[in-house]
Amino acid sequence: MQHLIRFLIALLIVPLLLTSVSAQTDPRSLINAMAVGNLKARAAQIEALAATGDAKAVPALQALSDGALYFRKSDKQVFIAQKSGKNFDLIDPLTAENIGSFPKGSVSKVKVNNSLRRLIRSVIGTLTLLSPDPQIRIAAAQTIFKTGDPESLEALDRALVQEKASNVRSAMELARASVILKSDSTDADKIAAITLIQKGDGREGLPLLNEFAAQSDGAVAAAANKAIGEIEKTIALLDIGQTVWYGISLGSVLLLAAIGLAVTFGVMGVINMAHGEMVMLGAYTTYVVQEIIRTGYPGLFDYSLALALPLAFLVSGSCGFVMERTIIRFLYGRPLETLLATWGVSLILQQTIRTIFGSTNKEVGNPTWMSGAYELGGLTLTANRLWIVVFALFVFAALFVVLKKTGFGLQMRAVTQNRKMASSMGIRTPWVDALTFALGSGIAGIAGVALSQIANVSPNLGQNYIIDSFMVVVFGGVGNLWGTLIGALTLGVANKFLEPFAGAVLAKILILVFIILFIQKRPRGLFALKGRAVEA
Amino acid sequence: MITSFLFKALDRRAIWVVSALIALAILVPASNLMLPFDSAFHVSNFTISLIGKYLTYALLALALDLVWGYCGILSLGHGAFFALGGYAMGMYLMRQIGSRGVYGDPILPDFMVFLNWKELPWFWLGFDQFWFAALMIVLVPGALAFVFGWFAFRSRVTGVYLSIITQAMTYALLLAFFRNEMGFGGNNGLTDFKDILGYDIQSDTTRAVLFAASALALAASFLICSGIVRSKFGKVLVAVRDAESRSRFIGYRVENVKLFVFVVSAMMAGIAGALYVPQVGIINPGEFAPANSIEVVIWTAVGGRGTLIGPIIGAVLVNAGKSVFTAAFPEFWLFALGALFVATTLFLPKGVVGSFSSAMTWLRLRTGKSDAPVAEPTVRAAE
Amino acid sequence: MTILKNTARSIGFAALVAGMMTTTLANAADTIKVGILHSLSGTMAISETTLKDAMLMLIEEQNKKGGLLGQQLEAVVVDPASDWPLFAEKARELLDVHKVAAVFGNWTSVSRKSVLPVFAELNGILFYPVQYEGEESQRNVFYTGAAPNQQAIPAVDYLLANEEVERWVLAGTDYVYPRTTNKILEAYLKSKGVADEDIMINYTPFGHSDWQTIVSDIKAFGSEGKKTAVVSTINGDANVPFYKELGNQGISATDIPVVAFSVGEEELAGLDTEPLVGHLAAWNYFQSVDTEENATFIETWKAFTGDENRVTNDPMEAHYIGFNMWVKAVEKAGTTDVDTVIDEIVGVAVPNLSGGYSAMMPNHHITKPVLIGEIQADGQFEIVERTNGLVAGDAWSDYLPDSAKLISDWRKPLSCGNFNVETSTCGGKGS
Repeated sequence: MQHLIRFLIALLIVPLLLTSVSAQTDPRSLINAMAVGNLKARAAQIEALAATGDAKAVPALQALSDGALYFRKSDKQVFIAQKSGKNFDLIDPLTAENIGSFPKGSVSKVKVNNSLRRLIRSVIGTLTLLSPDPQIRIAAAQTIFKTGDPESLEALDRALVQEKASNVRSAMELARASVILKSDSTDADKIAAITLIQKGDGREGLPLLNEFAAQSDGAVAAAANKAIGEIEKTIALLDIGQTVWYGISLGSVLLLAAIGLAVTFGVMGVINMAHGEMVMLGAYTTYVVQEIIRTGYPGLFDYSLALALPLAFLVSGSCGFVMERTIIRFLYGRPLETLLATWGVSLILQQTIRTIFGSTNKEVGNPTWMSGAYELGGLTLTANRLWIVVFALFVFAALFVVLKKTGFGLQMRAVTQNRKMASSMGIRTPWVDALTFALGSGIAGIAGVALSQIANVSPNLGQNYIIDSFMVVVFGGVGNLWGTLIGALTLGVANKFLEPFAGAVLAKILILVFIILFIQKRPRGLFALKGRAVEA
Repeated sequence: MITSFLFKALDRRAIWVVSALIALAILVPASNLMLPFDSAFHVSNFTISLIGKYLTYALLALALDLVWGYCGILSLGHGAFFALGGYAMGMYLMRQIGSRGVYGDPILPDFMVFLNWKELPWFWLGFDQFWFAALMIVLVPGALAFVFGWFAFRSRVTGVYLSIITQAMTYALLLAFFRNEMGFGGNNGLTDFKDILGYDIQSDTTRAVLFAASALALAASFLICSGIVRSKFGKVLVAVRDAESRSRFIGYRVENVKLFVFVVSAMMAGIAGALYVPQVGIINPGEFAPANSIEVVIWTAVGGRGTLIGPIIGAVLVNAGKSVFTAAFPEFWLFALGALFVATTLFLPKGVVGSFSSAMTWLRLRTGKSDAPVAEPTVRAAE
Repeated sequence: MTILKNTARSIGFAALVAGMMTTTLANAADTIKVGILHSLSGTMAISETTLKDAMLMLIEEQNKKGGLLGQQLEAVVVDPASDWPLFAEKARELLDVHKVAAVFGNWTSVSRKSVLPVFAELNGILFYPVQYEGEESQRNVFYTGAAPNQQAIPAVDYLLANEEVERWVLAGTDYVYPRTTNKILEAYLKSKGVADEDIMINYTPFGHSDWQTIVSDIKAFGSEGKKTAVVSTINGDANVPFYKELGNQGISATDIPVVAFSVGEEELAGLDTEPLVGHLAAWNYFQSVDTEENATFIETWKAFTGDENRVTNDPMEAHYIGFNMWVKAVEKAGTTDVDTVIDEIVGVAVPNLSGGYSAMMPNHHITKPVLIGEIQADGQFEIVERTNGLVAGDAWSDYLPDSAKLISDWRKPLSCGNFNVETSTCGGKGS
């Protein structure tokens, strides 16, 4: 297909090129040619540049693909542009020499679109097969594997002869197999290629094999179909693993959202409707930290979350502290009324944030270590989800230790279980109450830092999680941290297993119905506290 | 002695409230229809539709108060019963459009036509008859409350657990009604109503009649509630609220008591919803939103739960405040609303009405006018 | 006000007080009131607050130019709080209490549906600035956003021609706009020879945040050897997590491009767009449009908000067009009288921001160019395609069987929003 299009384009453009470009084969003038012509003409210009086979053209092509290729309006010279303040630093694409800073208005961008990017990707693949950097060579091989451009067969063979590194070799061999499928090689070669692809990365190979099977017949088609069948079998197995992973990852989000509530609501019995807003405050803290880093210390961006964590804990925690001292403490023993007061607080907090930051979404970036995905035996684990799972478990463990192993935790449990007795033993109960509430709120703030990585950071952030959080805590059993953990993960996994059959909406409805029915069976949640205390 | 005094007061108060509502039902529509526009006592169309809406909210709050204030069941899902009643009414009104819809289909509502539905789903059958719709307005919320309550009260789900699962119920219904496959118009809900019982829904007379109907429905419900509360059964209700286990040990079937009052309350909420829909002209899944149900709780709390007049005053007060503030301070009204809730819980724990009567009692005791020692009204935190 | 005035009179207030009342009334009569009905709180505040600001700016600019008919314009802002029945109440308040000459407002379809009966009953004018599902044409409403044929169909055409897409994922939020748009697109794609099994339709709830399963489904759907694209009608809030998941699962625009109809500059402002470069959006306006009018508009906007980083977007341009059309129609009519303006505004043409004129059609929709843009790393769009000339908004889609036979023309003598050409009748007239 690709080949055909390119051929057609060439056919259309060649006469045009013959007059203007054919005489010029040096890369510089070919690059400069891109200053003129529309998107359709650009395809031919890229082809012409690629046809030189000169790896020196790669930076220019890469820049074009990244949208960083500009031409100077005065003389139609094409350069790679780097933003520096209000101006652009122009860099010579061949020599990488910085020729100085130019104002925005004096340069104009060389336009590019998706199909051109695809073309560039495939030509760069061929051009960089001989790069000294093994990572680039692997990337090149993978690109060729995806595009299967028959024209790169020669280049591949040349590269394979001198390739020493085994991982690069295997990537190149896979790429070669993909190219073979699209070329007019013998059936035996093609069957060998199919086996190779099947053994390689199944999921990535599936589109190639599917396309191939549809176009061919006879023994090759049978072999391809057999390979497809095998790959799909593996994928079906992997899918179960993938679904479990999705479930755990959703569960960990629920856990993060709910864990602060497990303290304020679960342990203290305050129906804290402002819990979601504590999460939101944490997310906005992250935003503010990132803004400061962006403007002042761009190098620290990857540490922004680490910096935001303690701050978010402090912001939400002190907000919780103030709330407890001014409102909640007058309402102990009237838990349902805490609902009303905290609902009022949540409205005020939302509107405050809206007044300060505006009601639009704020951009919170992912640090590099939270972008992309890891491959684990055929499973794709996206980095941000992976870190959130790890982080959720870490927060859980930390909270658990605080509650069970520290003096403060002991006092806290004593106060919540029997206030009068604790007070008689000399514990300053009001102080413990305030700190407990601050702890719960602070943890919600920390959760906000993590959730800012996957959700919208807007004044409505908290509202989106509050109901789910209550469901998790109630399902797990009020006052039991383990219940919250198990509850969150169960609901997450169950939701993800239902989703493929029922669709996202129905899955959620079914989960809610399940919770309602479950509470009938165990009116105090999964892990109910035993004893008389709970009746009080 | 004390109780009989309280009863008397309630009695007097009930008569006063009911007559005030009846007067409202007659005077407001009359002034809207008969007085000239520039008369000082003319009630504008805008005002009448606004107050009409508040009255249905008041009915909803009254229904909630019956279960929360008197029986200690804090339902965070009463909006669901309200919305179901509203949908039943909406379906009737949709069927009344007939072939006057934009596509001119005699049977199918517009939203079904453009989603390529070929025939009316079974649950829409019968809604072209008013009596059937009227029946469904009370039966559907009642049935849901019955099934839900049957399981929940029998399993002795109480307190916060009950509140959260009622919230789960309304949330599940919200998501369900959002789905277009359900056949209730999805997110847009039901709208573009033309007439009710053959009368143009936008005419001034219809609006006045709907207003009167809302006021009368509220008066009737008030009487029913007051009857329930003042009967022996009402005492059992309060007993269940204040000491559930003890009532059970004495021999009352607590779950039946709760179930009865929950179903009655749900039916009243359904009626409120049915009156609400023709007045605002739309019913959509947004009414199921858990936040709406929480707001009903807040109206009741602001007015004073455990009194019958409280929720009515609370609903009108909060909503009137909302109407005024959203226009006067569009950017800041949430601060005012939030502060109101916080202040009410902190400073008026018994709500406006509860605090008012406490103050009156205190005053009477001070001036020595009272002929009987009066105990504090026994409204205790219901859990 | 009238009540107050009469009460004051009848009770016989002091002359001074009465005098003051009359002065305020007289002052009020000197201005022409314009209602702004956009949510400033609740879930929709995120999109609608900007439009309120845009309207305030337009009104301020008009007042600087000397107002309208020699009178100053006065904005009446209310907050319907993303609560649909409250929209109806507030609309009634604007028309009945404040007596506004025109209302600019609404975003969601349901809020528009909620106010329609009010505008019909009280005979007001509403300018609705957001792209929507069509299937509506009301006498009192002017639709300045895109109808499906002004956004969805040109976008699909672009993908067919330039990306040679063969498989389609139609992903949307489960409400009426995506449902209708996808119905239309499905019919359109089938008419172009796309097979059933090459179309995947998926709906998610509002604010959906966990996209792992769906994105991996899309990935699997796209890995069957045919070029695949996603047509996204995913609504506002759910977009950020959706694009984040796309980026993280490694789906780049070169593999599976996503073309969106609800993602504009405002939505991208909440996102790191680096991984999204090359994904597409179809609108009638982009901030990156290179025209004189647009440059002025952006400059005024940034000055008005006092924020260098504020972006402009398509619904803002729709308000710009709608407001100018209304101003021109009022000037033409010499009065703000609703019936006269409704008659006069059809045919009025005003400059849009993308270099041309937009005209009000008899079906109360407007003509606009359609632009396709690719997301850039700086959160802006690069325009890769624009239609030749203007596309007129089609109230009733030709790709839905029941709607194909309807036309809309509010000029006399037809004066009908849904005229059935088969039966030659006007359905549900006056609603």
